[in-house]
Amino acid sequence: MRIRSMIGLWLGRATKFALKISGRSGTSLPGLVAGKVAPHLLQDLMAQLTEGVIVTGTNGKTTTTALLYAFLSEEESWLTNRGGANLHQGLLATMMSTSTLSGKLRIRKAVLEVDEATLPKITAFYHPSVILVTNVLRDQLDRYGEVDETLHLLKEGTEYPGTSLITNGDDPLAMSLGISRSELTYYYGFTQVPEVTSARADVRDGAFCLLCGEELIYDYFIYGQVGAYHCPNGHFQRPVPDFGGKYDGATKQLLVEESVSKDNQVYAIASPVKGIFNQYNLLAAISAARILGKSPATIRKGIVNYEAPTGRFQVFVGTPLRTLALVKNPTGANSVLRAMEEDAGEKVLCFAINDDDADGRDVSWLWDINIEEFLPRSFCETWICTGTRGLDMALRLAYAGVDRSKINVLDKLSQLVEETSGYVLPVYILSTYTALHPLSELLRKGVTNG
Amino acid sequence: MARTLRLVHLFPELLNLYADQGNLSVLSTRAKQRGIEVKILPVKLGTKLDFDQADLVLLGGGSDREQAIVGKELLAYRQDLLSAIDLGLPILAVCGGYQLLGEFYELPSGEKVPGLHLIDMTTHAGKNRLIGNIAIEWNTNAQGAVRTLVGFENHGGRTMHDYPPLGKVVKGFGNNGTDQKEGVQYKGIVGTYIHGPLLPKNPHLADHLIRNALRYRGYSDDLGDLDDRLEWEAHHSILNRMQIG
Repeated sequence: MRIRSMIGLWLGRATKFALKISGRSGTSLPGLVAGKVAPHLLQDLMAQLTEGVIVTGTNGKTTTTALLYAFLSEEESWLTNRGGANLHQGLLATMMSTSTLSGKLRIRKAVLEVDEATLPKITAFYHPSVILVTNVLRDQLDRYGEVDETLHLLKEGTEYPGTSLITNGDDPLAMSLGISRSELTYYYGFTQVPEVTSARADVRDGAFCLLCGEELIYDYFIYGQVGAYHCPNGHFQRPVPDFGGKYDGATKQLLVEESVSKDNQVYAIASPVKGIFNQYNLLAAISAARILGKSPATIRKGIVNYEAPTGRFQVFVGTPLRTLALVKNPTGANSVLRAMEEDAGEKVLCFAINDDDADGRDVSWLWDINIEEFLPRSFCETWICTGTRGLDMALRLAYAGVDRSKINVLDKLSQLVEETSGYVLPVYILSTYTALHPLSELLRKGVTNG
Repeated sequence: MARTLRLVHLFPELLNLYADQGNLSVLSTRAKQRGIEVKILPVKLGTKLDFDQADLVLLGGGSDREQAIVGKELLAYRQDLLSAIDLGLPILAVCGGYQLLGEFYELPSGEKVPGLHLIDMTTHAGKNRLIGNIAIEWNTNAQGAVRTLVGFENHGGRTMHDYPPLGKVVKGFGNNGTDQKEGVQYKGIVGTYIHGPLLPKNPHLADHLIRNALRYRGYSDDLGDLDDRLEWEAHHSILNRMQIG
């Protein structure tokens, strides 16, 4: 290890210690300090990995990483950046947490969630064994930047030999990453879905052939631009998946059919997650575990260890039962709403919408959430809106046809727990990024006190 | 007499970058609540356009690539559009759609993409993007207590023209960040960089557009009052956050 990296490591450690004795922890400061002093520290640490898996894509990174970590850590120790610290300093903090003072990694296998824009910066010095891509969707943070730019970054981060790419075959944009690769490319996709949603008018970004620009023809949509597609000029089509999934909503079983090797296996896994987008995350994680040589039996054992990360359909047990779900773009929000439709009972629905930098300052995306189609299936008696942009959300609901007398706007996030505590109906809280952790804290306390 | 309005939404599959269907939803809901029958006509690329069948046209924003496709498609209808504009056809053009009304808009690469040249207006590429909340003082004779328009802007282009603007910038950047002008108002055209979307928090502007469309069609432009408490609360909360008023 370079001297400079060693100094960076010590300074990072010292920062962490100083924060700890002053009663503060969990910040990204140690990673930031170490990274500033020693730009090559992350490289020097990652170079010691004997096995590395990177999970990237627009939506589902955190859940997929947590699922995969549960499978992989069943038999041996793996490192992971739990909780979505997926930029350079977050990755560095994760690696430093397990290194000795002389800079040796104690755990030499890692499954890491990496932000799409950070990916090419990492792969410039480190090639993982496996890269897993969840999907490529429009995010509210970079609306003008377009998905074209994201796709370019992902291409740069995946186009080199020796790494297995596992990508979503049902998403034309994620799938396109595999086109120019000749080997070690695997697709996962659903061969049967509980509800085929051909008529849904969601925002779609990949609905055009990347080669000729013609609008893709779909046999069906599953969510967003994800579905069964082909280019009318024959350039482009949904591949037959190497890992095909069939999800049975009644038994909550995911059946996986492999067509990747000679002894193609078929096995069922009990799904611990809700909603079709999460079944995609599960299928993705299973595919990666299989490529890494884990047996279906190990996956079944490991899945018991899975814990929903903060705000990823995180359930707070109590009366009422409250569920917290992160929403950060229309496709993600639509997927969460669709998962809520599985609960056909009456409910209370809350939106906590902030507009800080990490949420996206432009809240136009709220109008791309398909409330109109959700409404007749919502069974929702009360709608609560809060956050710095709670009023924007309230207007969105009103123009979607929600009765204005059923919409309640709260000035402060902190009022949400008290406001919902009188209900016995289940309460769902959809929250943007910066409201998520405060809400999670409030809910944890609220539940304990109640 | 029962009144009917036909709202033509141009190329929603391409021009939907800033939730432009939010504007459509506001126009149609507010018209319907006044007993006006509304027909929404989404026009997809490749469909023949007939502006005689339109009482109000919406042109939204897309990515540079998508806007170029739309510009090419619409160029064939330039004469039809010019005649319709002369007759007072109301058009709401937002962001990319606004730029498309002019002679050209310049991409960050320096390439000049021809616009429809419906009005004498040009858009040059700026160094940085102009991003953030914006409030303007609406340039209007419309009755009503509120004179401000609020929303969000996010554009790299610097637009210049000599027509009356939609309003004067109170806080934010507007057309180019220098001359205090935001948007354009010319005959029935309302062009603007303001999205968010534009109309939900600006119900007075929404009603102004509906009245224009009614008059264009030869109807009475009477509109009854609606319960807009939520709209004004949202409008004023932006003004408060921007420390205006």
